[in-house]
Amino acid sequence: MLRKADFSAVALVAGALILFFIGGLLTTVVPPLVDKSWAKPFENADPSRGPTGKLRPLTEQELKGRAIYIREGCWYCHTQQTRTLLADTKRSGWRGVDSPISTPDEFVYDNPHLFGTKRTGPDLSRVGGKYDTQWHRTHFRNPRDLVPGSIMPPYPWIANNEEEFQAIVAYLQSLGRAKQWRPENDYEK
Amino acid sequence: MQTEKELQAEREAAISRMHEDTTAKFFLVSSITYFFIVGIVAITIAAKFVWPQLLGTVAPLSYGRLRALHVNGMLFGWLLAASMGLTYYVVPRLCGVKLWSEKLGVATAVLWNVIVLGAVVSMLAGWNQGLEYAELPLPLDVLVVIAWVMFGVNIFATVAARKYQQMYVTIWYVMGCILWTAFVYLTGNFAVLFTTGVNQANLNWMYVHNAVGLIFTPIGLALAYYFIPKASNTPLFSHKLSMIGFWSLAFVYVWTGAHHMLHGPISQWLQTIAIVFSVMLLIPVWAVVYNFFATMKGQWHQLRDNVPLKFLMSGVVFYLLTCFQGPMHSLRSVNAIVSKTDWIPGHAHMAVLGAFSFFAIAGSYYIVPRMFKTKLHSDALANWSFWLFLIGGLGFFVTLWLGGFWQGWQWNNPAIPFIDTVVALKPVWTVRFFSGVLMFLGIVTFAYNILATMVGAKPAKAAAA
Repeated sequence: MLRKADFSAVALVAGALILFFIGGLLTTVVPPLVDKSWAKPFENADPSRGPTGKLRPLTEQELKGRAIYIREGCWYCHTQQTRTLLADTKRSGWRGVDSPISTPDEFVYDNPHLFGTKRTGPDLSRVGGKYDTQWHRTHFRNPRDLVPGSIMPPYPWIANNEEEFQAIVAYLQSLGRAKQWRPENDYEK
Repeated sequence: MQTEKELQAEREAAISRMHEDTTAKFFLVSSITYFFIVGIVAITIAAKFVWPQLLGTVAPLSYGRLRALHVNGMLFGWLLAASMGLTYYVVPRLCGVKLWSEKLGVATAVLWNVIVLGAVVSMLAGWNQGLEYAELPLPLDVLVVIAWVMFGVNIFATVAARKYQQMYVTIWYVMGCILWTAFVYLTGNFAVLFTTGVNQANLNWMYVHNAVGLIFTPIGLALAYYFIPKASNTPLFSHKLSMIGFWSLAFVYVWTGAHHMLHGPISQWLQTIAIVFSVMLLIPVWAVVYNFFATMKGQWHQLRDNVPLKFLMSGVVFYLLTCFQGPMHSLRSVNAIVSKTDWIPGHAHMAVLGAFSFFAIAGSYYIVPRMFKTKLHSDALANWSFWLFLIGGLGFFVTLWLGGFWQGWQWNNPAIPFIDTVVALKPVWTVRFFSGVLMFLGIVTFAYNILATMVGAKPAKAAAA
């Protein structure tokens, strides 16, 4: 058939589509059917926190903050995945506690996903609770005031808009907190 | 009594009268204009890495928005549109018939311009879907689908009406591109809307990888397969090898999207499949590149003063390098170092600029004088554009790969604070900015040369009429 495609456009079309769909279907449609963890929120080890632990859909304010995060293209520079590499768990960790790696079941409410492909700034998958609101306000006004050498742009139009600022901080504080990986008293500051 | 030579010249004149090429001209003029405009955006965002305060307080000109404009402007405003324009020129000639409908073609070009201008507005306004390469808002996605169907109908109808039974490999790649792009685009822009989290990321990256692998690769190779033999006036080395390249590409590419998620929150077995197929990409790449090099055997001296051929063959070398990097990058151990570093833009730019844009530039240099029945405005300027692109490109690619490895090694040592790894990259980004300036000068000389050729052709045409 492939040799016939030399002369017959119909044979070419059929061949090209068949070969494409074998790989296409096996790598996009089949995987979520095989691996159920892609679509199910993770179970919490502590039953008193409910079957899905602290993983919950975002609140309206957090969703608004997430929309700002997408609008400004924050995801071009900040990934949201703690990979299965030791260095990632150390860097996403906090005060000597290593962060757990990201698992598929953490992200079932994420739309669009924000895993990212490029780190120009640090990964944010576990940033929730690490810095307080005042820190974020200064950082959005001018990142270099807090982190000399940073190349993050200033975001005065967010820092000066109280509603937008509160929303994006609320979203950032939600990141990675469902996993409950730090000692209770280590949150904030 | 006419000599054989005169008869031949008459036949060629008759063929060139047959083709109107209005659509091809329209696509080329607009895409080259966008190449220039988005080039300004490109050096602006490169400058922001070195001077982060630059234009920083103006929301539409902040990095996150200009970057979206840069990616979409270069991929869809310049490269895909230029490749489509060249396809509108190449396919009717290979089929020995006129383009099926010049009117439909012009309508497609108009619609494409509406899409690009809409993209400019929405990207600057921050109306961004948050999915890589699929940033355009939904209404524009729908227009892209309509434009693609119009393009496909026109090309398929031309192929169906062809005079020559056997189809040259360029036609296969064009048809493959139209079909695969349709499904890849629908997956990346529409299927993702019905999913969340990891499943959505898997679909997104199937699209991202295959935007390069099944959109830009087949249409780029289609052009290279046409222009390398044409520009060097040498027949293609092997028909059989081109078949191997085509059918292995058709089968292998679509499996590889999950290599964007190595070490990430996605099933291990899917990562392994993606790695295996990524390594298998070496088969189609080797088949294609060997074919091109063998075609040039004994013809390399032509490179000295043939600018389109210079672009084509350095494009082939960049294609080989980028397609060697891809499989290596997909190995878990290499991936642990370079993934998410500045190595990635170095790699992506070599594919999209170094390989496929070089093919499109070569094609533009080759066809524009022929379409406008004139001579290229300046051969010297064309040569300058080549060296500016080549030196700027190499400066960009090489510093980012080295910088990326260095960055990855620093990241893998948790004792180094993250901000130190940012500061360490500043020299790399400075070199990237100046390389970007060189590439932009390449764009300027290229665009000026092409437009001057078109403008200069008009009085000659009027005089003839």
